[in-house]
Amino acid sequence: MQDNFNQQIENLKINLIKMASLVDEQAEKAFTALETGNVELCRGIKAKELEVNIYDNLIQTQCENILALFQPVAVDLRFIISVMMINNQLERCGDIAVNIAQRVKKTNEHHSLIAETQILEMGKQAREMLKNAIDSFINNNIDLANKVIDSDESVDKFNKQIFKALVLKMQNETQLIEPCAHLIVLTRHIERLADHATNIAENLVFYVNARIIAHKKKFEKWGVSDQTID
Amino acid sequence: MTEINKVIQNKIAIDKLNLFYGKFQALISVSMPVQEKMITALIGPSGCGKSTLLRSLNRMNDLIHGVKITGSVLLDEIDIYNSSLEVAELRKRVGMVFQRPNPFPLSIYENVVYGLRVAGIRNKKESDEIAEKSLRGAWLWDQVKDKLDHPALELPLDQQQRLVIARLLAVQPEVILMDEPCSALDPIATMKIEELMIELKKDYTIVIVTHNMQQASRVSDFTGYMLMGEMIEFNQTKNIFTNPSKKLTEDYISGKYG
Repeated sequence: MQDNFNQQIENLKINLIKMASLVDEQAEKAFTALETGNVELCRGIKAKELEVNIYDNLIQTQCENILALFQPVAVDLRFIISVMMINNQLERCGDIAVNIAQRVKKTNEHHSLIAETQILEMGKQAREMLKNAIDSFINNNIDLANKVIDSDESVDKFNKQIFKALVLKMQNETQLIEPCAHLIVLTRHIERLADHATNIAENLVFYVNARIIAHKKKFEKWGVSDQTID
Repeated sequence: MTEINKVIQNKIAIDKLNLFYGKFQALISVSMPVQEKMITALIGPSGCGKSTLLRSLNRMNDLIHGVKITGSVLLDEIDIYNSSLEVAELRKRVGMVFQRPNPFPLSIYENVVYGLRVAGIRNKKESDEIAEKSLRGAWLWDQVKDKLDHPALELPLDQQQRLVIARLLAVQPEVILMDEPCSALDPIATMKIEELMIELKKDYTIVIVTHNMQQASRVSDFTGYMLMGEMIEFNQTKNIFTNPSKKLTEDYISGKYG
């Protein structure tokens, strides 16, 4: 019984890692295309989406079966819950990689504009966050997860700065309105990707430390606790 | 542990309870509160001492030769082992339901009013009223009201178990101890007893020993995990089953024990 359960948990983890590597590959291609302007790299990204979606459904089914058949508790239950959440966040990351690739294609002729803003730095950071979030889950590495969570603020800052810079650009050079609009959407996608990476890391912390740390900074800022409503 | 003892208004407070069967120590310095009108579950592997602990709450272990007990069990702040409290009076206040239903070989009605007879109540009207109230309290009235004179042993097992509970309710106990009350019952009958337990806790304090961890997590407010005579962890049930503080507890509830 216990062996069977362990086997199911192991299979689930393997599938999540396979899915994560597909998403990681999508992100890698999208960000390299952004950096190098090599739009050829964007080609395979959309095709991977189907495979990612198959894993998404498979993992959800596996989680449902384990919950129904084994009724896990404590650390095992937290593992299943975090896998369900991470599964969802990875699938979103895959979608965002597709979106980024689309915007890269649309703004390819304006590579100098990209270079002028901090989009590449922001992209690098978000890319690193996703990679580290996945690694932290594979290796149960809480320190790495915390590093991901800490990085989110700086990506948000980049997002605001780039937005301002692009608005200014549009005001001064009206012929650049269209590419600038695409780039605003692009930075928004990058910011969302970083958010999902942060959520993945938060779910690892939930699994390992049994603590829900999502929204912690906001709660601190507002001086409230998540224990307020019980 | 002491903190929980302090904060809550306890119905029962067990403090540093040691129990020896001859040279074998079955309970090792067990401390635990039992909160009023709550369900407290005791879980742990066979032989961990949970039934011994349960039985020590109404002095059932006294019947066993060579038992020695130290420490204290306070019922409403009176030590049941070192006071003038009579054992018969104690067992009236702290009743017990066993694993296998044990109705007497009498009619359904006579089973329910047995305790009243012992207490000297013979008045037919009063007995009838108490019998109906007790059977209703155990959710058995509708099933048996037309056959109160039938032998109790003809009832299906889950109804026998509820009859035993009705027999307890008739003497108006304060605490109900349940020693694996559902282990002889099928899942549907088990569910009915569990629902009854939740209903009963409005008026009674319940302590249950169970091998079925899902049962403990479904019905209880507090859970104590015991291992080899020791209380390893005692906490609110939701904490025990989501984030136990001891590795030993986690291993047991997630099936990694042994």
